[in-house]
Amino acid sequence: MANQIEFYVHHDSPEKVGRRERLGVRILIVADGSFLFAMIFSWFYLRNLNTNNAWLPKGVHSYTAASGWWAVAAFIVAAIVHRSGLAKASNRKMTSVIALLALTIGMVYQWNQMAHMPFIAQDAAGRNFYNGAYASNWVLLAGANMFHYIITIFIALGLVIRGYRASVDPVLEEWRQRTAGSWFTWCAVAGILAAFTTSFK
Amino acid sequence: MTTLTHNPAASDPATSRPVPQPKKSLITRLHMGTGMVVGIVFCWGTYFVLRHHFSSPYRINHDEGLTDSHNVNITLLASMFMWCLGFLIGIGALIGPFRWLIGKDLTAEEQLYLAGDGQDWKRYFRYCTDHKVVGIQYLVGVMTLLGAGGTMAMMIRTNLVTPGSHFVAPHVYNSLVGLHGITMIIALIIVSTGPFGNFIMPIMIGAADMAFPRLNALSWWVLFTAIPVLCSAWFLGGIPTGWTAYAPLSTQAGPGMNAFLATIIIFALSTAVAGANITTTVVAMRAKGMTWNRVPIFVVGATISVALAVPAFPTFMAAMIQTGLDRTFATGFYDANVGGSGWLYANLFWIMGHPEVYVILIPGVAALMEIAPVFVRKPLFSYGAAIAGFAGIAGLSILVWAHHMYMSGWMPSLNGPFMVTTEFISIPTGLLFLVLIGTMWRGRPWMKLPMLSVYAFIWDFLIGGITGIYLSDVPADNYLHGSMYVTAHFHYTLMGAALTGAIGGLAFWFPKMTGRMLNERGGYISFWLVQIGFNVLFLGMFLSGAEGQPRRVADYAQIFAHANLISTAGAYSVGLGALILLWSIIHSARSGKIAPMNPWGSKTLEWTVPYPVPLVNFDEPPVVTSDPYGYGRSVK
Amino acid sequence: MEHHDDEDLKPTPGERVKQVLKDRDVRQVLFFFVLFTALFSILGLWAYPRWMPNIMSKEMRGDESIMIWFTVISAPIAGIVLAFAMESFIDIQKGDTPPEDGPAISGHTSTVVIWTALSFLFCTVAIVWGMTEMNTWSQDAIAKESSAMVVNVTGAQWNWSFNYPAQGITTHELNLPVNQPITFNVTSDDVNHSFWPVELGVKVDANRLAITVVHVTPDKIGPFEVKCAELCGIYHAYMETNGQVETRADFDHWVSTVKAQGGAQ
Repeated sequence: MANQIEFYVHHDSPEKVGRRERLGVRILIVADGSFLFAMIFSWFYLRNLNTNNAWLPKGVHSYTAASGWWAVAAFIVAAIVHRSGLAKASNRKMTSVIALLALTIGMVYQWNQMAHMPFIAQDAAGRNFYNGAYASNWVLLAGANMFHYIITIFIALGLVIRGYRASVDPVLEEWRQRTAGSWFTWCAVAGILAAFTTSFK
Repeated sequence: MTTLTHNPAASDPATSRPVPQPKKSLITRLHMGTGMVVGIVFCWGTYFVLRHHFSSPYRINHDEGLTDSHNVNITLLASMFMWCLGFLIGIGALIGPFRWLIGKDLTAEEQLYLAGDGQDWKRYFRYCTDHKVVGIQYLVGVMTLLGAGGTMAMMIRTNLVTPGSHFVAPHVYNSLVGLHGITMIIALIIVSTGPFGNFIMPIMIGAADMAFPRLNALSWWVLFTAIPVLCSAWFLGGIPTGWTAYAPLSTQAGPGMNAFLATIIIFALSTAVAGANITTTVVAMRAKGMTWNRVPIFVVGATISVALAVPAFPTFMAAMIQTGLDRTFATGFYDANVGGSGWLYANLFWIMGHPEVYVILIPGVAALMEIAPVFVRKPLFSYGAAIAGFAGIAGLSILVWAHHMYMSGWMPSLNGPFMVTTEFISIPTGLLFLVLIGTMWRGRPWMKLPMLSVYAFIWDFLIGGITGIYLSDVPADNYLHGSMYVTAHFHYTLMGAALTGAIGGLAFWFPKMTGRMLNERGGYISFWLVQIGFNVLFLGMFLSGAEGQPRRVADYAQIFAHANLISTAGAYSVGLGALILLWSIIHSARSGKIAPMNPWGSKTLEWTVPYPVPLVNFDEPPVVTSDPYGYGRSVK
Repeated sequence: MEHHDDEDLKPTPGERVKQVLKDRDVRQVLFFFVLFTALFSILGLWAYPRWMPNIMSKEMRGDESIMIWFTVISAPIAGIVLAFAMESFIDIQKGDTPPEDGPAISGHTSTVVIWTALSFLFCTVAIVWGMTEMNTWSQDAIAKESSAMVVNVTGAQWNWSFNYPAQGITTHELNLPVNQPITFNVTSDDVNHSFWPVELGVKVDANRLAITVVHVTPDKIGPFEVKCAELCGIYHAYMETNGQVETRADFDHWVSTVKAQGGAQ
């Protein structure tokens, strides 16, 4: 038996392998989508319940709807830019750099937004707490957005580097660009849904 | 990246040709040991840095109250996650992504090394991407979790043998209940899809490996890191909640609760990755000719189960993160004072929790549906009904969650609609019974352990299913909710159905996974001890529940004494049977009778490969021309 | 052999049934069907009334009735499934090689359809029963709203307290006058508890800063238990207290005794 192992393997074409990878990423997107659903459910459910009238206690500042959109704008830009790169291979080196730059700026904005949150209060004993369910839900959505930035920047950086190193199979790489496109699109959609949600104070 | 090149000389252990090894590099030097070292360094490093930063967080000064416990929670949670990250770095899990990032993908030799080509037993302790190795790793992991959970169960029942036994203190008892629950739930989620979904399934569909071999190894090793985290709960004071970890009891709980949260978050990552891998493999890598109506039913069941887990589990992860945020940064998701609500937790939890029990159930049933045709020598009765059953259950399971919350008061007007959806789920469930008894009808059953499991399942799941109908009825639930009746019901479904299915699956696939036959006598003795004990244990529990004993109680009134004594006696029989099964498995794996290639005369593809199964499973990719249930004389 | 005169030789329905019954497998299934159906029917009719506690309200009566009759209705379902399984099990063959193949039946559409239809029917019965019961309870509660006596229930780690606003007392024991509609407003001081006056057959969770409501009319005099049905910490098992349903006169007497002791017991 061992002598005859003739080597059969994943001699699957790069096309097949690439499609498979994209399917796997899409399934992970479903998982991520479910997490987003949980956060959006949480927002609207607690807002509706308004337990103890403390969804947004008096005097607690909230963010403007616009600031939520600015926090996710970079994802929308990156998704569009990446898509245009998909359409024309020669542009790809440039579009991947633009996407990376946009995402980096977006992440800095998000970081800044979180660093200056206006809703941390102190109780009688001087302990910090998030004042209200709005505040709690906001920080979770912003944190999740941040998580998206970190992962997406990793992917965008990888695409930039790989674009400059020639040692990759072009067909498989083409599929990888498309897979990344699925992820970028998802991040843009997630961002839109999150910004929409946070605009309901 | 799944394109492997292969040097026949490198993978030929049977000859004495020198096996060229890839040159010594980081990849060849990493293994479980290095993982543990880096993990421990990261964990303790984080712990000491944060402890220093918060300056004596363990001096619970009552004037500072909450602040101290928040810092304790931050320190512990961070340390646990850093253990996980450190371990993954130390075992080399991140090498692949890093090499992708810098545009230098793993070479063919490196991938072959990772697949364990030509390696010995040590590959089980490395980041090995061979799905067969991962399957065995999962089997050992599952057995460990079942052993730990089972031991806790024995302690629970021992405490309840008589009223006022005080075998353990109340807070220890509550921890036993909660940790037994979560340990068993995790074990049962992976009990069939872990060992058999990984080892057997790719061979069953005629593939050479899974779609994402590196993610396969990742799903196992991430799960591995969760095990010490879960155990650490015991050293941190245990948990006051059940496995459902309801808030706000969970947000106010002591340090042990952090271990629970971290375990779930880590486990959720493993589940998502495994779900993507199994689903993509079945969708994209079936052998030529294996159209959807020729796919073995176990493969269908396992795929539906993991595909359901993918959208379900993240809501639990979200609830755990929210609990974690409440415990660390004083957010208010579950604090009613600042606008939070325990009902939010309950909803998020059960949106996961109900699909989850079907994630547990479906692979066990699917394994038994794979077994029944082989052992009654008849085709599977109505493959279409089996699919409809699984798909119907999976689809409806997303619409029933709030039947766990009928009595919570969250929205009484929704009790009626949820009762409707919950009752309806019994229709696809009923189809599963029809498929099995239809397969058995007019057959000549062969007395072997896998077949015995089919019979046990029918009895157990029937009781579990029918008692579920009582519970789904809102007026009856007024009495039954929160009583031992519920506990008996779900043990009949989770343990009596899903675990029995997994044990049947193990007995069935044991020869292919170990090359030896499972000891028959040990198997039968254990089977009867477990099944009879199980029924005594939980029928006694239906009694105490009907009498009005609440669940999760460390002690109870005198009137429940008889029922509890009966239950505890049954539990000891189960425990003994489980130990005998464990002995049988270990003894048979090491020195059991050598198994022929196809001891059961089964027609699925995994029985066409020898043991040890070659690295790439098949010499030639198989071509499938019919479904695997072609038994039987034709009917005129 | 050929028969040209088919009319004469077609079996009558009676003969067809006899033919079927001659089949050993069918007879065995029928035997086990009767056995298991009887077993589960007896379980429902005999066991549940013995096991379940005293019935002290219409709601509890409804709860027990569901347990009994759902068992009886599902007895034939259990009967048929177990009959087929048992019939197969008693034919089991030992040996080292598989037995000879059975007939190649890979499906039977009409069986699947009938089975699904019967399941649907059973579900519908269960749903209608449940909905009717729920509807009766809620109509009842609405009708009796104005005459209901309010008891505010507070669960705390780890005891129950009952505030009677109309009587102006707060106690740790739940005394109630018989045949008086009660409205329980339930809340919690800390974590989730679940208010369960066992023999009254109702239950509702206690949540912090929320009020959940349940209605009941106790209709039998006697003692009952109040338990907590949601794990709430260390002493969850001990979070029980006593209740008593008594005559109106006894109840008023009890109220004045409590008041004399300072309004809280």
